[in-house]
Amino acid sequence: MAKVRILGPRERLEDVLRVLQDLSLVHLSAPEAAPLTHAELTAAQERERRHLAAALADVEHALAALEIREEATAVPPAVSRADVGRWARLAWHVRRETERLAARTASIEEERALIMKYQQFFSAFRALLQSEAQWPNATAYHVLLKGGDTATIPQLRASLQATIGQEFQLFSQPLPSGETAVLLVVSAQGAGRVERLLAEARVQEIPVPEAYGGKSLTDAIPRMLTRLGEIPRELQQIRERRRTLARDHGATLRTARAALHDRLVALAALPLTGVTSRAFVLEGWVPARARRTLDTGLSAAFGDEVVVSEVSREEWESEQAPVVLSNPRLFRPFETLVGLMPLPRYGSIDPTPFVAVFFPAFFGMMVGDIGYGVVLAALGLVLHARSRPGTTLRNVSEIIGPCALFSIIAGVLFGEFFGDLGRRWFGMRALLFDRADALIPFLLLAVAIGVVHVLLGLVLGAVSARRHPRQAIGRGVSAAMVVLVILALLAAVDVLPRRFFTPVVIGLLVAFPVLIVLEGLVAPIELLTTLGNILSYARIMALGVASVMMAVVANKMVGAMGSVAVGIVFALLFHLVNFAIAMFTPTIHALRLHYVEFFGKFFSPGGVRYQPFGHWTRVPARPRPAPRNSRQAA
Amino acid sequence: MNTVLTTLAAALAVAIPALATAWAQSRIGPAISASMAEKPELSTTAILLVAIPETMVILGFVVAVVILVRGG
Repeated sequence: MAKVRILGPRERLEDVLRVLQDLSLVHLSAPEAAPLTHAELTAAQERERRHLAAALADVEHALAALEIREEATAVPPAVSRADVGRWARLAWHVRRETERLAARTASIEEERALIMKYQQFFSAFRALLQSEAQWPNATAYHVLLKGGDTATIPQLRASLQATIGQEFQLFSQPLPSGETAVLLVVSAQGAGRVERLLAEARVQEIPVPEAYGGKSLTDAIPRMLTRLGEIPRELQQIRERRRTLARDHGATLRTARAALHDRLVALAALPLTGVTSRAFVLEGWVPARARRTLDTGLSAAFGDEVVVSEVSREEWESEQAPVVLSNPRLFRPFETLVGLMPLPRYGSIDPTPFVAVFFPAFFGMMVGDIGYGVVLAALGLVLHARSRPGTTLRNVSEIIGPCALFSIIAGVLFGEFFGDLGRRWFGMRALLFDRADALIPFLLLAVAIGVVHVLLGLVLGAVSARRHPRQAIGRGVSAAMVVLVILALLAAVDVLPRRFFTPVVIGLLVAFPVLIVLEGLVAPIELLTTLGNILSYARIMALGVASVMMAVVANKMVGAMGSVAVGIVFALLFHLVNFAIAMFTPTIHALRLHYVEFFGKFFSPGGVRYQPFGHWTRVPARPRPAPRNSRQAA
Repeated sequence: MNTVLTTLAAALAVAIPALATAWAQSRIGPAISASMAEKPELSTTAILLVAIPETMVILGFVVAVVILVRGG
């Protein structure tokens, strides 16, 4: 990154900002030189900002309500006040219209739910309700009790008897919804007392809705059923209206959103400018290789009026510089995984290339099955086809590709195709070892991978601390001690010749005080933690064995169910479950191995994301000039 | 008898850490879910916190394997 300072006459400030927005290269930061004051929005600009923000809120709401797909939208080259006014009015109208449609839909759905409830009631007491009209001196109460409230009925009956004697009839029937419909017919004399009793017992009566007229449910229900038939047509009309709105105004609203955002971004940049009575000063960060493009762009637009100078490296701290992860195309999707952590600091190591190599490898070793790998690859292809470039879904689909490839490679090495099916059907043989039997070799392989990964982390830690020699040497000594401990263990169990043991232990005894001098008293604890980190890679073996065992069990179901057809169905279901587990668990554990065991050795979080001042896009645009060195966050 | 004890030891080596892991995750899960409801950016921390106790059962499994291989 290069820090640049742009100077020019104050009256050209807005023009310069417009050109910088077109160039989309400079991450602006407020200058702090003493004689400068920060530019403030004028009263007119502040009014414009509020107006734009309100219009943008309407546009966003309308787009969301009309479910208009996100698409990259170009901002018109010239946006007049009239355009903004027109968009604001359109957005306001569309927003009100969509809100009205949403409210109408909610009301109709509510009405439908109510009618359905009465319909259930009507079905339960059809015969009784029809005779309800024949009780001229009686009042009918309709009650719906929730599923667990059936005990209320005997209580209600007993209370009614105590209150009005035998002058009532109570019918109840369970409904398919789990509720219980209750019809209570009471003589006219007892109606008042019964109403009080129902209120005291908190039994809620379903009133006959006034909208359907009549005091009797028998009269109201036919009207309700007619209304029920009209509702789908009304809902369809609402959907049609919404589609028409989207078709007629979708493109305009998208353009409006991009243009309004653009202008708001430009207004937000103004307070980041330092001004004197006659001049302005802009400061910001540019990728080093983009310096020339910036100079050329400003020079072409303003000639000698505007001057760009580079702020010397001594004048700024690394912590102030923004960070952009810049990696080769193949590694770029894995920035999504690194992006789950805070950004690395400027000048520290970008772990993306290492994640791009080790994450699929760990995942592949845990899944380790040709069949699952092929299914995963197919899933990745489908996701790739259904996603748009630059989205998280596209990145996930591109991460799935290498993971599937490594799963297939590991499957070939372990001789697995849907567990032991490959061996049984095609006579496949493991090229490396059979994971189901060779548990100890698999464990040793997993721990060996852990040694390599953790040592790599320690070496990267030493490299990233190169500006602090004491710290760098300390991390180097830690790495050396890990190697010595492992050599001592190998010599102790006769994997290495016994004669190595003594010199290795002497080496450890020499390195230990050096480590304490360099890193302090916490160094031994950190060393033990590092050794624990290495053992943590045993999870690769544990999850791998669990995966293959599940697949083998699935295959055994074919012969264990009596019927072959039933066995095949169960086996497929079990494989499906195993596949689902194989997607989530290895992902989480491979991530954990990176975030905890690997990143912990060198990763320096706390970087600020490089966000060049430019035109608004829904999908953040990548900076055009990519720094050459991808190993560093630049 | 030796085989029975070996098998029992292996089973306990997995079962006890599995119970411990389940207990730990039952405490972590609701806590991190509540935190994520307020701060969705904690999703990475959630992954780590949920995965950390699983180390117990994984190491228990490794110990069980060693018991079975060496003892069986």
